[in-house]
Amino acid sequence: MLSVLITGLAIGALYSAAALAYNVMYSTSKVLSITTGHIFMVSSVAGAFLIGDLGLPKVVGLLGAIVIAIIFGLLTELIAIRRILARSEDHLWLLSTLALATIVQQSIGLWWGTEPRAFPRLIPQDFTAGIWDQKYWLVIGTVALVALGLDLFYRHTLFGKVFLAVAEDPFAAKARGIATDRIRAFSYGIAGFLGGLVGFAAGQLTFAYFALGLTLTLFGFIALAAGGLGSNLGAIVGGLTLGLLSTFATYFFGGEYQQTIAVGLLMLFLLIKPEGLFGNKQVRHV
Amino acid sequence: MPGIEIDTVSKRFGGVLAVDEVSLNLQVGEIHGLIGPNGSGKTTLLNLLSGYYDLDGGTIKVDEHLLNDKSVQARVSLGVARTFQKPKLLESLSVLDNAMLGGWRDVQTGFMKTALSVGRTRKEERDLRDRAEEVLHGVGLGHLVHEQAGRLDHAEQRFLEIARSLCMRPKYILLDEPAGGLTEHEIEQLAVIVTTMRDVGLGVLIVEHHTDFVFRISDRVTTLDLGKRIACGAPDAVRNDPEVIRVYLGA
Amino acid sequence: MSGLSKSSLKMPVMAVLLVSLPFWVGNTYQLHIATLIGSYWVLICALNLAVGYTGILSIGHVALLSIGAYCYAILSGTYDLSPWFAAACSGLLGGLCGLLLGLPSLRLPGFYFAMATIAFSMMAMEFSLAQDDLTGGGAGLSVPPFPPPFDSPEGLYWLVLGFAAVVSFLSWNLVRFMWGRAMIAVRDSHVAASSVGVPIFRLKLSVFTFSGVAAGVAGALFASLQSYITPETFVFELGLFFFVCIVIGGRGSIWGPFLGTIILAALPELSGSLAHWGQFFYGVLLLLVVLLIPEGVGSAFVLLKEKLRPRKREKQVVNPDLQRLRAAIALQPSDDELAIPGQSGSSTLKPFKQRG
Repeated sequence: MLSVLITGLAIGALYSAAALAYNVMYSTSKVLSITTGHIFMVSSVAGAFLIGDLGLPKVVGLLGAIVIAIIFGLLTELIAIRRILARSEDHLWLLSTLALATIVQQSIGLWWGTEPRAFPRLIPQDFTAGIWDQKYWLVIGTVALVALGLDLFYRHTLFGKVFLAVAEDPFAAKARGIATDRIRAFSYGIAGFLGGLVGFAAGQLTFAYFALGLTLTLFGFIALAAGGLGSNLGAIVGGLTLGLLSTFATYFFGGEYQQTIAVGLLMLFLLIKPEGLFGNKQVRHV
Repeated sequence: MPGIEIDTVSKRFGGVLAVDEVSLNLQVGEIHGLIGPNGSGKTTLLNLLSGYYDLDGGTIKVDEHLLNDKSVQARVSLGVARTFQKPKLLESLSVLDNAMLGGWRDVQTGFMKTALSVGRTRKEERDLRDRAEEVLHGVGLGHLVHEQAGRLDHAEQRFLEIARSLCMRPKYILLDEPAGGLTEHEIEQLAVIVTTMRDVGLGVLIVEHHTDFVFRISDRVTTLDLGKRIACGAPDAVRNDPEVIRVYLGA
Repeated sequence: MSGLSKSSLKMPVMAVLLVSLPFWVGNTYQLHIATLIGSYWVLICALNLAVGYTGILSIGHVALLSIGAYCYAILSGTYDLSPWFAAACSGLLGGLCGLLLGLPSLRLPGFYFAMATIAFSMMAMEFSLAQDDLTGGGAGLSVPPFPPPFDSPEGLYWLVLGFAAVVSFLSWNLVRFMWGRAMIAVRDSHVAASSVGVPIFRLKLSVFTFSGVAAGVAGALFASLQSYITPETFVFELGLFFFVCIVIGGRGSIWGPFLGTIILAALPELSGSLAHWGQFFYGVLLLLVVLLIPEGVGSAFVLLKEKLRPRKREKQVVNPDLQRLRAAIALQPSDDELAIPGQSGSSTLKPFKQRG
């Protein structure tokens, strides 16, 4: 039972991180990017490749994975978001990020293979460590640090406050001379950093698997919707809840309906409270 | 008693009271001007009336029907049409298609009947097309009927939105700053169209900044400032009201 | 209204070509491709109404295809019921699933709905793998053909052609009358739509349910054509393919996605190596179209024409015709008032006062 709990927390932490990444990108662009989950995937594959295949030192692998993830985040903004937003076509960004996510997923699948491959051990540890296995605690610890870091960033740094200003009212921000394009690119870079760090830390839990992207995009969104769009606290609560729920459901009902249960719960939840636990009430429309 | 009765309505946004216990009456066959400085709550009041915002206080009645919770679409079926500060058009469609959209409420055939192209559907289409063409000629856009709406200039787009609203065969029409960005000549034509609406029996509520235009064509004028009503009456009386002059018209 | 052209020659020529196709096509394999395109079109035509006209981004629509396919395979195969009955059930089940999926999600912003459809497609995949006594699990099911004369390749082709014609006819009607304008209003301006009284949620639900029925029927046809289906047949990326056909073809058009479907479906079959890179290719194509010509390839031609020969519009002075205006907007038409020119006899339209 304890192992189910720990697994649930670890998976939940990963979902929370995805939801946080959504929030970071949403805050400056009002866009929910389908590439969100793929940032994590790219990082874990890069890490496995650099350390496992190329035999490079673990620190190099970590840095390499993060750099690649940041680049991916920046490219997402540059390619899929910037032009679309400038044209203010509603919802085209959904298609452009979907296209980009597909391109990345398929390329990785073609190059890396479509089977999940093992992620190297980062800290020397016995494989019989059970609930103390690093594959759980690396994720949980990293996500906790990331959540704290984000909070500090938004509340105590000038940059963070600028971020919030742009999110609140991009028009006014622009009028005051804030380069909204740069801020937006920067936030996508931050999301890349977040995804890179957590994706690498979670590598042993998720394996280096090309299809991880879409799954995380979906589950991260479920966590986000349940917790409330725009709320980081909601992202964490939503993610952990989702992780625990789906792990316990698997434990009691078998793994065959894992996704069905998670999604079904979300549907129910959204019917009752569409703005999520901590969101504001603008979600419903005519 | 026909008419729109806005009774001490209020609307709050966070800490700001955008509309503060405003009352206004719009009768059929009347042009009622609504003026005031920026931020006085004019457009908010319009949004409360057409249903895009919820009331925080007071009541609104259309022909004795209480509006309070009714959706935007329900208010349309009570005969209320409206235009917007920035025209909301379907730019990829033709002028005619845009105007015909206004005829939606008169469509009796549902999804399946339309899909099967039953005779009634085709008749409705013909009738609505005829009506739209008449209205378009009526507002002066007859020569642009097949032009793509996105290619129209500002004034033409405004008139198109008015045409669409008129295709709804409304009883009341709310115009949100229709004269914005129009030339002298175009404002003249707007005036002529609006007075025709009144003469035919519509109740017209017109929010405007072009005060000369409003005072010239309105039967009554209401003035708002900071969410409160500060004057209501015949144009000359309001124009000479010291409070109105102080907050809005200037020396 | 954009849609099928009113040119009198296009339709009959195309009809003749399509009906006679089995006689002039090269070999049975190409006939198979044509039938495949036809069954795709049954789904894509209706999906185009949802995506291209109404702006409902159903990315995971492939789930409804698989539900229809499995329903047909199970009812006509495992339970040995009439294939016609099975196909009808496929359509009904597809519509029902569309309705159930749409009820909670269509009120929410577009992204929520898109995610819900993706989630639904994963659920359908899970279900088909898990319920293996029903669906054959990972191994899949063999699918019986339709009864003669539709069990031959030609016969099945004509059956599919028939369904495709029906769906096209229904869709064409929906877009060329008021519902078409309402759909585009829902897509391009919610405010405009609501301001004329369009019931946005109900419209979206109707269109989406319709696309569900079509997908279900397409599933039955598709399954019969493939004669063997597994969960792998209905991967998420197939839904992407449907999307690309519609976006490339251009929103707000029926011809565009039709040509798009033909070209995109035929491509991988024509060049074998492309099949391996297929999904990657569709992703690139979708990205390019969305970034460069979001209104579809058709609009690219229009844009090009505009650049080469810009059409100047004479700015004419706007002159209202008050007499016609009066007649058109009068509140209570009475007997002695001028009849609106062009209207024959009594109108089917009732002015506001008399409507219930």
